[in-house]
Amino acid sequence: MPSEVALILGISGQDGAYLARLLLERGFVVHGTSRDREMASFANLLRLGLGERVHLHSAVPSDFRSVLQVISKVRPSRIFNLASQSSVGLSFDQPVETLDSTIGGTLNILEAMRTLNLAARFYNASSSECFGNTDRNPADEETPFRPRSPYGVGKAAAFWAVANYREAYSLFACSGILFNHESPLRPTRYVTQKIVRGAADIAEGAAGRLSLGELDIARDWGWAPEYVEAMARMLEFDRPEDFVIATGKLSTLEDFVSQAFGYFGLDWRKYVEIDPELKRPSDIRVSVGNPAKAERLLGWRAETMMPALVDRLLDAEMERRRAEYSVPSNVRAAAGE
Amino acid sequence: MRKVALITGVTGQDGAYLAALLLSKGYVVHGIKRRASSFNTGRVEHLYRDRHEKGVSFFLHYGDLTDSTNLIRLVQETKPTEIYNLAAQSHVQVSFETPEYTANADGLGTLRLLEAIRILGMEKTVRFYQASTSELYGKAKEVPQRETTPFYPRSPYGAAKLYAYWITVNYREAYGMHASNGILFNHEGPTRGETFVTRKITRAVAAIDARLQSVLYLGNLDAKRDWGHARDYVDGMWRILQQPEPDDYVLATGETHSVREFVELAFSHVGRTIEWRGKGVDERGIDTRSGATLVRVDPVYFRPTEVDHLIGDPSKAHAKLGWRHSVSFAELVQEMVECDIRALAEERSAEAGGSVVAPVRRVARIREAR
Repeated sequence: MPSEVALILGISGQDGAYLARLLLERGFVVHGTSRDREMASFANLLRLGLGERVHLHSAVPSDFRSVLQVISKVRPSRIFNLASQSSVGLSFDQPVETLDSTIGGTLNILEAMRTLNLAARFYNASSSECFGNTDRNPADEETPFRPRSPYGVGKAAAFWAVANYREAYSLFACSGILFNHESPLRPTRYVTQKIVRGAADIAEGAAGRLSLGELDIARDWGWAPEYVEAMARMLEFDRPEDFVIATGKLSTLEDFVSQAFGYFGLDWRKYVEIDPELKRPSDIRVSVGNPAKAERLLGWRAETMMPALVDRLLDAEMERRRAEYSVPSNVRAAAGE
Repeated sequence: MRKVALITGVTGQDGAYLAALLLSKGYVVHGIKRRASSFNTGRVEHLYRDRHEKGVSFFLHYGDLTDSTNLIRLVQETKPTEIYNLAAQSHVQVSFETPEYTANADGLGTLRLLEAIRILGMEKTVRFYQASTSELYGKAKEVPQRETTPFYPRSPYGAAKLYAYWITVNYREAYGMHASNGILFNHEGPTRGETFVTRKITRAVAAIDARLQSVLYLGNLDAKRDWGHARDYVDGMWRILQQPEPDDYVLATGETHSVREFVELAFSHVGRTIEWRGKGVDERGIDTRSGATLVRVDPVYFRPTEVDHLIGDPSKAHAKLGWRHSVSFAELVQEMVECDIRALAEERSAEAGGSVVAPVRRVARIREAR
């Protein structure tokens, strides 16, 4: 039997790279897109050693022809849409592009599936940002959405587009409502990597202070390589449904910071300063999910949780630094590290 | 006088050269870069310092030409005296795959920037440079091409750039803005993107010379272009905005060379002479000394619609801007080959040093694997 074909839109990001690795291990032929194949550096794929094993295409999700073209060329049986502007903070500065890439991209894929009459299974990356504040009650699949950022608004709209196409056209289409999930592949504009790298810089004497927006926000942090497993399982389930993917455990950003500095035996209070300019116009205070449905129906549960998760991130960061010191800086720059 | 430049597309080849030039002239430079999952600021890394340090005059911002609100905010906050719109989906081949996005970013993106200037009431205080291109001439109506030659774009990229050209002219005429087009012919350099044909050739020459690659695959060997050095061309951009009156200018060398000549010259720098045998898609470039085939044709690189003989007539820029190119074709090829040979050697010595990351070569392999 020929191998099944999977298409990952947004393969150059954190989740795209981990998902590509997982699907390759499962025997899929993996195709992936980035907005501009000719320009992107695909550093995440390279870091996982997948550069030569995936087929890359240029596609901009908000460009219908490019979506239609890549899907009709690849004829996948599994489609994962991970492509969109993915930073909540940036969505306040770039609201229109954020919306175009989230809702426009999702609709174009659904429309391409309809146009081509393609019997593929479709996964769309939804987000805990749809819920807004969850207070102390973990959000599940029945919790109403109340997004607090242009990013959350776009993801909420895309969630309903997926549900609508599932009901209206009987597509096998589902949303994974993923809570925060981290890994060493996160870019530094994410606060978790900013803290990890900041603490390591301070421990090595390369920096003196770390500026953060606020410390009393609380999140449900999981480990990205485990979360892509949940994505794959959702498309192997016998019917299309939406799932909350989370650890169920709540921690504050202060817990995260304290664990990161503690890794080096440092007291964070001496190094962290609060810069109100870094605060978002409307941030979520508390975000925690209830993954009971995923555990019951998909047999999935998070293994890596706070605070051990911070140690894993720091182990990886220190490994990366050791490797990097033996390469000249111009070569690092050329390679996108 | 306050000199503040806002450069869209600062992470590209031209953006990085222009930022360096303007910083050397005492400008405060704000650069806009697009979000990306992977690192994309390699070309401006050497210019960048943390903004908390003293005396910093180079700043990077996230932005996107498809988002008006974002552009308005950036123009409002940075209060530039000159805006250089260099951001674009700039790859002709990719524009056939993503035509709608190319039109959105390259065409409408220019309109959004011009509108941002108007909305903020800065029509009289900011000068605007639009990066136009020789691809506008496409199926050229006359040879050489000058400012008065009619356009005939031959790709979604060319068509999007045509809209950007005319909307820039229109805003100049309708609202009295100091808005100008530079119609730049091909301009290259060691930081050219790796999939553009010139850089692809010079990287391959370095790799073949180091026995890391055996054959270079190319499209149309007889495509002729007017190739200059990007460093010269960003100086032309700056001169265009220093003119008392806004206007449109062709920047070119006025000389033309084929891809074939570029290949021959590049290989000559590593002591190899190429002899061509066969015809059409079966044509091969042979190393006369070893008899090995070093160059082959792969039709996958042919464009759906090829552009004709592009050669620019830069007389107007000579006369009015006092601009002319300083780097010859031979010097350009030499600099690019030498840089790629050096980069490869450094990378190999890093590999030999037992490093677990050998990133550049892996990038090369992933591109060849396609």
